[in-house]
Amino acid sequence: MTALALPDRIDLATVRPLQASLQCVATEDVALDASSVTHFGALGLQLLLSAAKTARNAGHRFEIAERSEAFDSALTRFGVSLEDLQHLPDAEAPCH
Amino acid sequence: MSDPMAEIKASFFIECEELLESLQDALSDLDEGADDGETINVVFRAVHSIKGGAGAFGLDALVAFAHRFETVLDELRAGRLDLTPEAVKLFFQAADLLADEIHAAREGSREPEAAEECLQALEALLGDRGAAHRADAEDETEAADFQPMGLALDLDFDFTPEDASPASFTLQFRPDGALYASGNEPLQLLRALAEIAEVSIMTDASAVPPLDALDPEENHLSWTVQITGDVTEDEIREVFEFVEDVCQIDISSMPKSSETPLPEQPELESEPSGDTDEDEKFEPDAEANGPGPVDPAPPPTNEIAEIATEAPARTPDPGPAEQQAEAAKPSAAQPAASNTAPAAEPGATVRVDIERIDRLVNLVGELVINQAMLAQSVTEAGLPPNSAVNTGLEAFMMLTRDIQDSVMMIRAQPVKPLFQRMARIVREASSAIGKDVRLKTEGETTEVDKTVIERLADPLTHMIRNAVDHGLETPDMREAAGKPREGVVILSAHHRSGRVVIEVSDDGGGIDRKKVFEKAIEKGLVASDAQLSDSEIDNLLFLPGFSTADLVSALSGRGVGMDVVKSSIQSLGGRISITSEPGKGSCFSISLPLTLAVLDGMVVNVAGETLVVPLSSILETATLTSEDIRALGPSTNVIHLRGAFVPLFDLGAELGYRGPKRSYSGDVVLLTAQEDGARSALVVDSILEQRQVVIKGLQQSYGHIPGVAAATILGDGQIALILDPADLVQTASGNTRAIDISLAG
Repeated sequence: MTALALPDRIDLATVRPLQASLQCVATEDVALDASSVTHFGALGLQLLLSAAKTARNAGHRFEIAERSEAFDSALTRFGVSLEDLQHLPDAEAPCH
Repeated sequence: MSDPMAEIKASFFIECEELLESLQDALSDLDEGADDGETINVVFRAVHSIKGGAGAFGLDALVAFAHRFETVLDELRAGRLDLTPEAVKLFFQAADLLADEIHAAREGSREPEAAEECLQALEALLGDRGAAHRADAEDETEAADFQPMGLALDLDFDFTPEDASPASFTLQFRPDGALYASGNEPLQLLRALAEIAEVSIMTDASAVPPLDALDPEENHLSWTVQITGDVTEDEIREVFEFVEDVCQIDISSMPKSSETPLPEQPELESEPSGDTDEDEKFEPDAEANGPGPVDPAPPPTNEIAEIATEAPARTPDPGPAEQQAEAAKPSAAQPAASNTAPAAEPGATVRVDIERIDRLVNLVGELVINQAMLAQSVTEAGLPPNSAVNTGLEAFMMLTRDIQDSVMMIRAQPVKPLFQRMARIVREASSAIGKDVRLKTEGETTEVDKTVIERLADPLTHMIRNAVDHGLETPDMREAAGKPREGVVILSAHHRSGRVVIEVSDDGGGIDRKKVFEKAIEKGLVASDAQLSDSEIDNLLFLPGFSTADLVSALSGRGVGMDVVKSSIQSLGGRISITSEPGKGSCFSISLPLTLAVLDGMVVNVAGETLVVPLSSILETATLTSEDIRALGPSTNVIHLRGAFVPLFDLGAELGYRGPKRSYSGDVVLLTAQEDGARSALVVDSILEQRQVVIKGLQQSYGHIPGVAAATILGDGQIALILDPADLVQTASGNTRAIDISLAG
């Protein structure tokens, strides 16, 4: 499993380089560390949703292991649950 | 590599300046009794916009301050707070502190200490409501810890009041890529929405492609927000006011009575898909997915896939990624434009880097020099005056002059921001010493060169403080003198014969000349038996080390001040003068050149050298006769001019071109005036012409040269020094008597 740390601010200025480093989700299991994120903008959300989709399609595990308060707060405000951003095949809850 | 965020941030701070300006304007209007809704709205919007922008850049301290300020303003806007003079005073103070907060955010320095105190005073205006607002704000941030979105909490919170039919809206919000490019952030907008109403937010990620197909700077997300609470559509639209050009917004209202969406929500939490009532208004999938994110219980892990497959059917215009990208393109071409609109006048303006303007100014300077050279060659060629070349040249000269004036106008800026800063100085200075002072400003639109404005701030601050501290009497003294308790300081600017005149006047007691004179004697600045005119006594104030304040106050009285003011004004090529009338007040008048780039000068010849003397310093010119010249001491002369004696200086000797001449009879003198009114006569060999010259600074290469202000290039390509007569005279020897060797021998 590859571990990746997210930058402090995820916004217009940082999404492009971050996209490049996230490409590996298509080929391996990845665990993100969002513990130092102080600003999680909508473009960041979009990027992680896209990464989760990619991982899901490829059948790889994509996990956000550590999260900062700011990260969680932004997720809450966006109305997105953590599960939307992850793909945890082994812990998959039964669909209803 | 330039950082786009840094650039956007820089432009945010420039916008802040503009917003602060409109905030100050509107507050001044409020202060003058205009309490109409629009003025209050302008105040509110300015603070709101600053908060919004600051949020986008994560400037938390600034956001926090602006938020609390805005909360109080919101109460005012809603008519729940009276606009008392005390409240206006506090608003001014908060606006000043907001400026400090912005400064702190920009410089990364510490935020102002008085902020908390001022905010508490503001919130005290609201009484109990203030505390409630604060609690709200804190809940909002703490809710972040709590996994479910604040919905359930908000319900408990707001549903207790008996008023049970809140408005309900559904908002569809889809940003364009340009929204991000202009420094805005949906997160902030959603937060702002949550501040005014209860919201249930749902992200539609159906259009988000996998990583390899994603352009991360384009937007593929949209949000559906269900809004309930005591909120109007206009208030919702206001949140999106500044981004409406760079996003798509669709607000639809829901009838209040037919549905009671709020009680449904807790139910939804326990059973995410089992919604019935709202299906009529919200499409089923929207509702089914809606509670998922806000649900405390973890929803199914592949919910996102569900959204992805089902969403296109539910949103009326979801638009595939390509469509969105296309929609974003036209607006992306003008990224900053959308952000410049807030509260600014609709007049079209362009922001230009000052360096570019300076380069243009320099080029125009070169053009002026070049044109002079061309004119010279045409004259030397001896072409007839009515030849085509000469007429063409004349037209060219007029055009050059027009271009020059226009370019100088670009550098010119209204003095308004400077005056607004002075308004703050008056507020702070008057409250520090317990005087009631009102600042009146006149001619705020008068334009002055940007550099002049920047360098005027310090001297003006000094003068304003002096006017408040020394100029105006205490309220009791004013009352005793039959004046209103509130003192008035007037700051005005206007153009007068090619110069800008800025005046600081007060309606105080005027200069106490007796006291000034005694103080000057006490400090050894004048002889005790000196006979001085009123204006000479007034001018003593400009002497270094002079202070009449018996006690050193917090503001002034340390003996540094007016002499520093005077030298700063002089370094700008300006003059300062005082008029004062006992019991009625004093007026300090500063006269400045319109620009620092060109000056009108008299071109003279001294010992074969060509020199330029600024026209503004020349009173008159005269030809000397032997009767005019009187000896004074062994090596100096004075000239007798209309009953007065003026010291004579030989420019050739002072500048070291030659020694003093044997006789000055028949020579030309320029009579110059210094700022203190003292005159001196400078001997030159001849006067060549009077013309406009382009100033070329020497400071960088040579440092300060006594007596020399700068240099210029003349039409024949020759470099000529521009003299600073006042400085020259200060260091001059005054030696105008040649030692007669033949007599000694």
